[in-house]
Amino acid sequence: MTSEEMIRIPQWRTIFETLPVLRGFFDGDADAHGFSTLLRGVSIYLERMLHHVDQEHPFVWYNLGFNSELVYALEDVCPVTIESLGVMHNLLGDINVSMDFIDNAQSAGIPADCCSADKIAIGAIHQGLYPEPACTVGINTPCDAQVLSTQVMHELSGAPFFAIDVPYYHNDDSIRHVAAQLSELIPFLEEHTGRRLDYDRLREVCTLSNRTTESIWEWLEWRKQVPLTQTSKVAALTLVMQILFTGSREGVDISAALAREAQERCERKERFFEERVRAIWYQDAVWTDMQIYDWFERELGLTIPVDIFGYYANEGLIDTATPETMLYGLARKLVACHPMSRQFRSDMDVYIHDFMNMMEGWKADCCIFAGHIACKHAWGGIGLFKEACRRADVPLLVFEFDMFDPRITPYDDIYFEVERFVNEIVYPRKMRG
Amino acid sequence: MADLILSEIRELISGHTNGYVDAWKAEGRPVIGYFCHYTPRELALAAGACPLRLRGAGSEDSSTGDAYLSGRVCTYVRHTMSLALEGRYDFLDGEITTNTCDHVRRAADLFVKKTEIGFHGFLSVPRTPRESLYGYYLTELRNVIAGLAEHLGVTIGDAELREAIRTVNSIRRRLRTIDELRLEEKPKLSGAEALSVHIASQVLPPAVFIDLADRLIDALRERPGLDASRGRLLLIGAELDEPEYVEAIESQGALVVADQLCFGSRSLLDAIDEDAADPLDAVGRAYFFSTSCARMIGDFPRRWEGMKAAVESARADGVIFERIIFCDPWGAEIHNILHRTAAESTFPVLSLTREYNIVPTGQVKTRVQAFIEKIEIAKAKNQASGVEK
Repeated sequence: MTSEEMIRIPQWRTIFETLPVLRGFFDGDADAHGFSTLLRGVSIYLERMLHHVDQEHPFVWYNLGFNSELVYALEDVCPVTIESLGVMHNLLGDINVSMDFIDNAQSAGIPADCCSADKIAIGAIHQGLYPEPACTVGINTPCDAQVLSTQVMHELSGAPFFAIDVPYYHNDDSIRHVAAQLSELIPFLEEHTGRRLDYDRLREVCTLSNRTTESIWEWLEWRKQVPLTQTSKVAALTLVMQILFTGSREGVDISAALAREAQERCERKERFFEERVRAIWYQDAVWTDMQIYDWFERELGLTIPVDIFGYYANEGLIDTATPETMLYGLARKLVACHPMSRQFRSDMDVYIHDFMNMMEGWKADCCIFAGHIACKHAWGGIGLFKEACRRADVPLLVFEFDMFDPRITPYDDIYFEVERFVNEIVYPRKMRG
Repeated sequence: MADLILSEIRELISGHTNGYVDAWKAEGRPVIGYFCHYTPRELALAAGACPLRLRGAGSEDSSTGDAYLSGRVCTYVRHTMSLALEGRYDFLDGEITTNTCDHVRRAADLFVKKTEIGFHGFLSVPRTPRESLYGYYLTELRNVIAGLAEHLGVTIGDAELREAIRTVNSIRRRLRTIDELRLEEKPKLSGAEALSVHIASQVLPPAVFIDLADRLIDALRERPGLDASRGRLLLIGAELDEPEYVEAIESQGALVVADQLCFGSRSLLDAIDEDAADPLDAVGRAYFFSTSCARMIGDFPRRWEGMKAAVESARADGVIFERIIFCDPWGAEIHNILHRTAAESTFPVLSLTREYNIVPTGQVKTRVQAFIEKIEIAKAKNQASGVEK
């Protein structure tokens, strides 16, 4: 496949045609640093992908539990998160393409009750939309759905495959266990991409990764301000940054732009809506239509300062002193920081503990458990989570929807649930003091 | 005679515990529950305990489990945890869970936080059977052994482990004989009966099972073979401890002559070296590398080859795949199986999604009937064109 052929593929062409339009729109807004920098980052990533295609550089596929640093540390290797095209269609392109991916995966045998995040990946692979990989990497986090997608990725790609096991426990042994596997992964990547990993280059990549992390932390700090002045719909972008951009210049730029935008809005005390209620959105974002957050803000005065995809735990930066410390730091990101992998891999205590920290730190009034229907480990902990919220006297809304498939729960239903919760429970309660 | 013994076995597995386990407890001996095949039974046995596979058998509804786990978790776990939350597993002296899947991990939360059971062991089993990860599993086994020994106030050394290996090997030998009796041209027992025996091996005190199995094997040798002329099937999938489900399949005329089920033959390992210098290492290697569950990432090619070999050795005409709704690892497996069967034109596959504790009715029977007819038509066509199977 050449870049020209790739651009002609309808599922790619839509993205390439839509991006400049969206960029023109957001670049025209002097305050939209965050979103316009994200769009610029996506454009750069795609332009580079085309360059890699033309140069016949190796591609490495992986699933959304993995981070991109080690791939960026190899010269002229293109990282591909297998969910990326489906996510781009949800965020920037044509939602019908994402739904086609879902239907395609189901018609190939993926059960309907499995996660749509996997189906958008598997559908795109079945349609042959990603450049063929030199090798693939699969990680078992954050959930069984990722076990599903990695098994299918391995089967359909036919490329050499390396599995990373993240243990159950939230401790240092788990990090060391993963670091040892990253050490094994390097020769695997070198063998199959034909590139040598230069540790000085890895140090540069880790430095960029640290800068991205620091900016995310700074950004999250600014979003603690009451009232929230930056839009709720960017809250979930940390995950996107970690899986596709961390370790790259674009990752630094996007996170810094989000932080700068949040800071400037706070300093100007500028906002476009009256904040009545602050919620922790403690499950999956509504990727199918991020405008729903604008709706919440405008109509209900509901803001989401942080959600589970946006929260990035402060477990420390990557120590770039030696190869070993870098691999340890990268492993710690995968085990202890990566959104969802951190909260769900082990028992429910980390999940509940992080939620309570968010409630306090981001001064929220309530919790919205937006239950992605296929997220079994979240639903499996709902009883304990409800008990924890009850003990802490936190109003909690629980509803079902699908984060990538708008056919499961109509927007009107989501809005109805949220509206009733905000207007009839949380806001009156807040007014009563 | 065989019918009588099989009927006794069926009665013994009808609930989450049984009279023999109750009697074992009454003698003051401990019972340790476990969820997953990756928990070696040898650990509990070496501690002087009876290992009991955790099941939802006898649960009339899953509402107690649903309250904590929601309706989005597999019904096997929801029924099992309903029993646990109602205190019906409180007789256990301990339980060992694993990170088998998202559902079992959430069950582990509830065991710890919501039951009165005194010991909670946990095994984080690496998600791929790579040599470099085996050490982690072995350390996990050592940790569980240490916890069990401390909780039960016993010493678990090499001698105890070797004795436990000998005991489980004895069970394995008998199960293998029973599986061989299924493979005959006229199988000596049905798939439902064989599954019942395999389940019994995981819920009865070893000596009780060995006695039953010996009597059963003798009786089966005298039993006339069953008619498998309408089709020989391989049944594969995850947790299935309901012989009624297999009966519904077999009620349409074909026989399940082999299986690769978690409660069935997939858990049947080769004999473990009883004289190994490091018996725990021998146990660990056997469990970690020998058989593969769909939870094991990157191991599908090996499972596929194993499945093809099983079809060949059983002379199976087709494969029925069963999966409990909401199971992701086995969701990937059926996709990959269908992908391979299409690419290699191997054998017909019927995929069934099911719920735990629901006796299959017309829908399953109709689908199985159609599948058997499809097999028969293909066989007839092959015979007509002179093609051997």
